[in-house]
Amino acid sequence: MPIRKTGSTPDGKKEGGQQPPLSAVLEENLEQIRARLGNSPDLVIRHYKSMIHEVQVAAIYINAITDKNLVDTYIEQAMKFEFPGEGVGIPAAPGDIYSYFKTKAVSIGKLKVIRDLNTLLEALLSGDTVLLVDGIAEALSGMTSGGEGRAVSEAATQVSIRGSKEAFTESLGTNIALVRRRIKSPDLRLETMTLGAITRTDISIMYIKGLAREEAVFNLREKLQHIEADSILESGYIEQLLEENKFSPFPTMYNTERPDSVAGNLLEGRIALLVDGTPFVLILPATFFVFMHTVEDYYQRYDVSTLIRLLRVICLVVSLFGPAIFVAALNFHQEMIPTPLLINLASQREGVPFPTFIEALMMECTFEVIREAGIRLPSPIGQTVSIIGGLVLGQAAVQAGIVSPAMVIVVSLTGICSFTTPAFNMALSIRFLRFGIMFTGAFMGLYGIAIAALMLVAHMCSLRSLGVPYMSPLGPFSPGDQKDLFVRSPLHFMKTRPRLTRSKRGRRQPGAGSS
Amino acid sequence: MNRRGSSFLAAMLAAMLALTGCYNSRELNELAIVSGIGIDLVPGKEDYKVTFQIVNPKSTPTTVSPGSGLPAIVVISATDRTVFGALRKASKRATRQLFFAHTQLVAIGEPLARRGINHVFDIFERSHELRLNSAALVVRGGSAESLLQMLSPIESISSLGLVNKVENTAKVWGENRRTDVFGLISGIAGEGDITVNGVMLPGDIREGRKKSSLEQSDFKGGSIMSGLAVLKEGRLTGWMEGTDARGTQWLLDEIKETGMDIGVPGASGKLAVNIFHSSTGVRVELREGVPVFHVRIREEGNVSEAGAFVDFSIKEVMDQVQETLKTQTAQEVRQAFEKAQGMKCDIFNFGNELKRTHPQDWQKVMNHWDEAFAQGRLDLHVEAYIRSTGMRTKTYMGQEN
Repeated sequence: MPIRKTGSTPDGKKEGGQQPPLSAVLEENLEQIRARLGNSPDLVIRHYKSMIHEVQVAAIYINAITDKNLVDTYIEQAMKFEFPGEGVGIPAAPGDIYSYFKTKAVSIGKLKVIRDLNTLLEALLSGDTVLLVDGIAEALSGMTSGGEGRAVSEAATQVSIRGSKEAFTESLGTNIALVRRRIKSPDLRLETMTLGAITRTDISIMYIKGLAREEAVFNLREKLQHIEADSILESGYIEQLLEENKFSPFPTMYNTERPDSVAGNLLEGRIALLVDGTPFVLILPATFFVFMHTVEDYYQRYDVSTLIRLLRVICLVVSLFGPAIFVAALNFHQEMIPTPLLINLASQREGVPFPTFIEALMMECTFEVIREAGIRLPSPIGQTVSIIGGLVLGQAAVQAGIVSPAMVIVVSLTGICSFTTPAFNMALSIRFLRFGIMFTGAFMGLYGIAIAALMLVAHMCSLRSLGVPYMSPLGPFSPGDQKDLFVRSPLHFMKTRPRLTRSKRGRRQPGAGSS
Repeated sequence: MNRRGSSFLAAMLAAMLALTGCYNSRELNELAIVSGIGIDLVPGKEDYKVTFQIVNPKSTPTTVSPGSGLPAIVVISATDRTVFGALRKASKRATRQLFFAHTQLVAIGEPLARRGINHVFDIFERSHELRLNSAALVVRGGSAESLLQMLSPIESISSLGLVNKVENTAKVWGENRRTDVFGLISGIAGEGDITVNGVMLPGDIREGRKKSSLEQSDFKGGSIMSGLAVLKEGRLTGWMEGTDARGTQWLLDEIKETGMDIGVPGASGKLAVNIFHSSTGVRVELREGVPVFHVRIREEGNVSEAGAFVDFSIKEVMDQVQETLKTQTAQEVRQAFEKAQGMKCDIFNFGNELKRTHPQDWQKVMNHWDEAFAQGRLDLHVEAYIRSTGMRTKTYMGQEN
């Protein structure tokens, strides 16, 4: 089933197909609209009368969500025929006024013809201005949506030193423009649909034809059409509704608020999903390593980027296994610790009243509390919380002999390491998994950690994101994609796109292919 | 399987993982970290007296609480017919579970060494708690207990200090080497005899145990590395000392760095030569029933000090210095060899070498190897090179006429 590209028809809506048609009587229509919208005060109905045939014309829009200038232009243009002598043909009959609007006068974008009430209401509620002509059972709607919105500003959650500072906004149109401006290819495809029975949220699929795999686009389309939800308030809704493995701790869709990141991913054959009302754009299929990369990796020189990527991987391992290994080593494998270090640690633990595991759990929980409090509080107070929490509490806990200093080091190191994961949702998963691994470490030592790691790897290998194995290109191994995994090779060597997301057009640099 | 069943199974498996419990989880503050083990013979009995040096974490200066002022080590002993028995009996005296994985040092009292140590080390191989890479020392003229009780002024944990001392002197002086339990066991199990590093307690043993004696600049206790104990079939039969010990080390290719005082050609003072590289190659063969030991030593050194005027810029003088160095090395090695021959102790690993390279020949002499070794001939070749004379050639004093 091909999707309609205009979004005028509600998708996935099964109301039996009987939509009340518009009446030919203007007043009846207006009455119905008023009734359906509950006499909403922000509904504006402007009446006009054509000079020639005295035909009643009504322009309807909702005040706050339309662009005043556009509305005025639209109406003005629609009414232009009232001034004879401008060289335009004068409509002969009242019925012709309507067709005149339709064919000649209205130069507004995205003109649609509406024949039933529901569609009309939907158009109204998404900011269109609707023209109704008395005696005609059709309506014309022109896109005039606008109103207050946030301007394009700097990315707040995915900051980079080098590279574009622009971030997506809440407006779908702006977001599409931001991507379009970066990829000026006719192959950049955009498909729009409306989701959410109540919210009627506009969403757009964006991909580059010829780079993205057709079946992936097809699958995504199918899946989106089968979403049954009454509300889509954020791309997170779609992410959760689309996920193949709902109980996995790992995210299988990447989200970004950076247009350059979207552009880069589109060029690697991935598909972007833009949702109206949120600056976070979903990117799929997203494998594990997508979450470990940032756009800046490609902006900086390759050696720097490679080292930073390796650092990130190390930090990920530390933030996942750090406290677990510490607890396991201290409780089970004291023989593994070098003697001077062991004596040092033993002297630190002297007088600490709790078992190592409880100590670690306590500190980790405290750390999470501080972090959560820091996020929720207004930013000036947020800093105070982290200072009080981090410095005062940590210092006092050590001095009171409740926690050993080494534990504070391990926990804070773990915390800092978890901040290096570029994708926040991946960092969250790791944060959450850390506790589980700490449990196994405290129960069974390194053996337990090894089991947990094995289970984790097995699980990650079983995951798929839109048909692409989550651990690719490591499992399944594709040698050609290793150039952009842990290391970031010089751009000159990156001639091919990732194997599992791309379609036939694998080469990136057609000119460089012969060298 | 239906969904309920599989989730039940998963829950049971998860519970099983957790229910195995913390089967050998031990908190650090429930452990007594043993840094050194000493084994002595109880006089007049067959019992072992095993002494444990335990680290007292309370007094380690890294602790956050103010230092307790207690000595860094606590020593307890237990007596039993077996080492293992003593290990377990010590629990009667220790407040915490003894933890042996960090044992740095195994000290053996001289009386026990004289009686024989062949059977002492079985537990070190058998038990998973003990380490094979602990350093082994023979306490010369004393008991292992007194060595472990001795405090040490810089390293607060004296076992660690002793091991550092061995390693340090092995690196720069060369008369001693770090012998570990593993080497000891393989030496006992192999052909020939072994040497174990010796340590002596020259100071006041009673004072060395007191913390107050650490509060003075010249510590009254203390220990010094002293020679190599020669163990014949596990029994202490003699000591290699001074240059003999160094000669032994040379034959074993264990010299890393050492200093030699050699005579100055045509003058009365001495030249100090720092040997910074030395390698020894050994080949053993049987000639008409008599073993011949071909030993090649190649040493390289710097002149570190000249106690008399020597003009190193003259090639002939340098040749002479190198010749002297060579002769002196050869002399040390030969002395050590002859002393070992006198004791009929093949401490140079020659037997193993013959067995490895000429198994048939070994069959002929294996039953009377000690005698064969004592009659063996040393074919020694030394190559000595002076690589540098330091930051100047001639000394600041002019030539005395």
